[in-house]
Amino acid sequence: MKTDDIQQPMTRHAALDILGNPIFRRYCQSRLRIRGLVISLLMTVLGSGFFVSFFAAVGSRADASGVDAARVSVIALLVIQSLILFLIGTAQAAGGMVAERDEGVIDYQRLVPMSPLAKVLGYLFGLPVREWAMFLASLPFTVWCLWRGEVSWRVWLPLYTVLFSSTMVYHLTGLVAGTVVRNRRWAFLCSIGIVFALYTIVPQLANFGLVFFKYFTLGPVFSECLPGLLPRDAAAAVSTVQRLAPVVKFFGLDFSEWVFTLFTQGSLILTFVVMLRRRWQRAEAHLMGKIWAAGLFVWAQVMLLGNALPLIDPGNLFPSREFGRMFGPVYRAAAGWRPDPTEAVVLSGVYGAVTVALLALISGIITPSVDRQIQGWRRARKLGQRGIPWLSDAGSGWWFTLLMAVAGAVGWFVFTRALVESRWFPGQVLPVPVFGYFLALVLGGGLALQALLETRGAQAQRLAFILVGIVPLMAGSVLCVISEALYPLGAWVLGISPVAQPVFAAASQMPIADLPPSVARAVPRAFEFWTVVGLLAAFWLARDLWRRRSAMAAAARGTEKDGR
Amino acid sequence: MIASPPLSKKSAAIDVRSLRVDYGSFTAVDDLTLTVPAGEVFGLVGPNGAGKTSTFRVLTTLMEPTYGEVFLDGVDVLEDVETARRIIGYMPDLAPVPSDLKVWEFLDFHAAAYGLGSRAARRERVDECLAEVALTEQRGSWCKELSRGQTQRVVLAKTLLHRPSVLILDEPASGLDPLARRDLRNALRRLAAGGATVFVSSHILSELAEMCTSLCVMNRGRLLAAGTAEEVRQQLGSTDRMLTATLLGKQAEAAAWLAARHGVHDTRVEGERVVFGFAGSDEDQAALVGGLVGAGWKLRAFEEKRSSFEDILVEVAENNRKA
Repeated sequence: MKTDDIQQPMTRHAALDILGNPIFRRYCQSRLRIRGLVISLLMTVLGSGFFVSFFAAVGSRADASGVDAARVSVIALLVIQSLILFLIGTAQAAGGMVAERDEGVIDYQRLVPMSPLAKVLGYLFGLPVREWAMFLASLPFTVWCLWRGEVSWRVWLPLYTVLFSSTMVYHLTGLVAGTVVRNRRWAFLCSIGIVFALYTIVPQLANFGLVFFKYFTLGPVFSECLPGLLPRDAAAAVSTVQRLAPVVKFFGLDFSEWVFTLFTQGSLILTFVVMLRRRWQRAEAHLMGKIWAAGLFVWAQVMLLGNALPLIDPGNLFPSREFGRMFGPVYRAAAGWRPDPTEAVVLSGVYGAVTVALLALISGIITPSVDRQIQGWRRARKLGQRGIPWLSDAGSGWWFTLLMAVAGAVGWFVFTRALVESRWFPGQVLPVPVFGYFLALVLGGGLALQALLETRGAQAQRLAFILVGIVPLMAGSVLCVISEALYPLGAWVLGISPVAQPVFAAASQMPIADLPPSVARAVPRAFEFWTVVGLLAAFWLARDLWRRRSAMAAAARGTEKDGR
Repeated sequence: MIASPPLSKKSAAIDVRSLRVDYGSFTAVDDLTLTVPAGEVFGLVGPNGAGKTSTFRVLTTLMEPTYGEVFLDGVDVLEDVETARRIIGYMPDLAPVPSDLKVWEFLDFHAAAYGLGSRAARRERVDECLAEVALTEQRGSWCKELSRGQTQRVVLAKTLLHRPSVLILDEPASGLDPLARRDLRNALRRLAAGGATVFVSSHILSELAEMCTSLCVMNRGRLLAAGTAEEVRQQLGSTDRMLTATLLGKQAEAAAWLAARHGVHDTRVEGERVVFGFAGSDEDQAALVGGLVGAGWKLRAFEEKRSSFEDILVEVAENNRKA
């Protein structure tokens, strides 16, 4: 090596040039080798061919037209393509990422002078490249069926656009899981579990007022496009049903399912890309910056409210209405349907619980560890700054948790007020002071958990959550089952848990709530008592937090101890 | 804190100041200050857990230290990560390679990632680096099929691809046979002669002593000594050696005479030989031998046996552990 050879200029890759991306090309080389690829493609082609010919044959035997048979095949092919991209592709994205880390070669990739975004995109399209090839192999069958089934582009274009965006969401979920979760098996299970939960558990949240969550899946757009994909007789019936609720309501706006799903998933894709980009920039970086995290929390509140509020007056938000729809004859019989007040209480409680959970999750992401804070103070000293910059990872997450807690309480109050003051409960009003209770609860729970995490670390926080969040739930439930006489005691024990507190808040503060006599006194009192205790705990932990931070700052200014 | 002495007047390629790395309550690197001039092959030696890998991970931007500053060729590694990464060539411990690529694919991928030009230019550079590590014949082999030594060399070739000015090699010689170690030593010297600075670690001191122009010793996160191999030996207080004088008669008298000399200890007679320990400089030893001959004993042969670097390191590690 000659001296003048050293540090020759290197070209930098354009992040969006996917085909020229070295990481993408590296996976094309390894995952598209003939031997492995041929078997995968053969299986895809055989599976696709089988379904197309099978449904054509069935249609022929049933005297159905070629158009109808082809339409059924489109749906079968869509299922195959979804399995390939959603399940196998996501597992590959997560597993491949962990394999890179297990083998130790990920450090090489960290050091290469490609932009973090280029690295993210390289892995996003590179790791599941064989699955994309399998998808492409099934496309000729789809094209033939779409043409043969006379499916309009207005049907297949939205469907396949959302198939693509859903795939991006799930593959990014896999990459994030592979980046964050250390164990390969766990990363694989996590990513598959998330996809599975998105299609099974999460849509159930839509039945409890959190309609927004169902737009993470292909489901709504598939339902919207179904009339264009079904045999024409069935399509007419489905189309008639769909005309009852043809669009997504978002506050006062109407969107098609397609556009709204794309918008929702696009936001999630952007968030995941930001997370991965940060991790590629610095291996120890938080998944989100503070501004982004707070923005994401507020965005989630807006989306939840935007989807839920317009559904209150038509009654579509209430679970009993949906239940009635599922059982048509019963529904028609119950023409004078009205929601039960308990439903509204449960909806408000679930909203509050989800808000607290989301707050704990996001504040956990932006809260710095003790080591990180020491690094921040030292760096501030090096750069001649008086303190750690607010927005840096080492900066305290307390203020942003406070901000999010206020936003969460506002969202929860707006939702609850809309329920109480809806046409279903005439004359009912939710007084403004109730907002104070909601705020106290969210602040108490959110800030206590955050301050605990920032001062004592993740293990202390997890232990506290188990002892305060889970154990009282279990103990209270057992007490309530033992005897009706123990209901009040059970309520007091259950009220300790921040998981149960939002339900207690709704039950004790909503004027429409009709508590059973056995707990009518215990629930409001337990709620108020434990909320005050939570606030005091948050205050005490916050005081401890500032004391420790001052000690750390003093240590960073030159004293010998590091203020742990 | 022991700062490495000014090894030469050349500018510092690696400048580490008060580096500390904590993992929770465990301190892996404690107040490390180190300067390595450009063009040196500098060795970092220490037992397992000494803090070598943590130091290297900070130097290579893969980890942020708890505090401290690191400059590579004047670039602040903690503030200007992108620039630092362009001048670093890093070969990690165990030299991992992907199991699903062939040797040329692995190297070509990195050449492309470093933006080393067209396919033809990359191919040329890959071949150059493979030749540099004497692995041209394995170009088309699968990475997973290589022996340990070959794998080390492939990763070294990868490290050289973008012509880094600072090479950081974590245990590069582990698993290499003597011939491969010699080739590695020669390759590193050629690189240093070409202007690159090589920072190499090992837990085998003698291995580094052969390879490096200067070195330092770490244990339990602290720098214990730095300088040339002989300077390190002196800094670690290991000037002790066993001397054997073979005499023609009067061994007992000679032993008594030696025992009375300064620095001599553990004297014993074994047949016609007098064996004794001696702690002192080379000059003191020369004076002792001169005195022995001058006193009239007939010295037929003289033999010196020094503690090996391994012995010194084990002793240092043991002392530290006890402390």
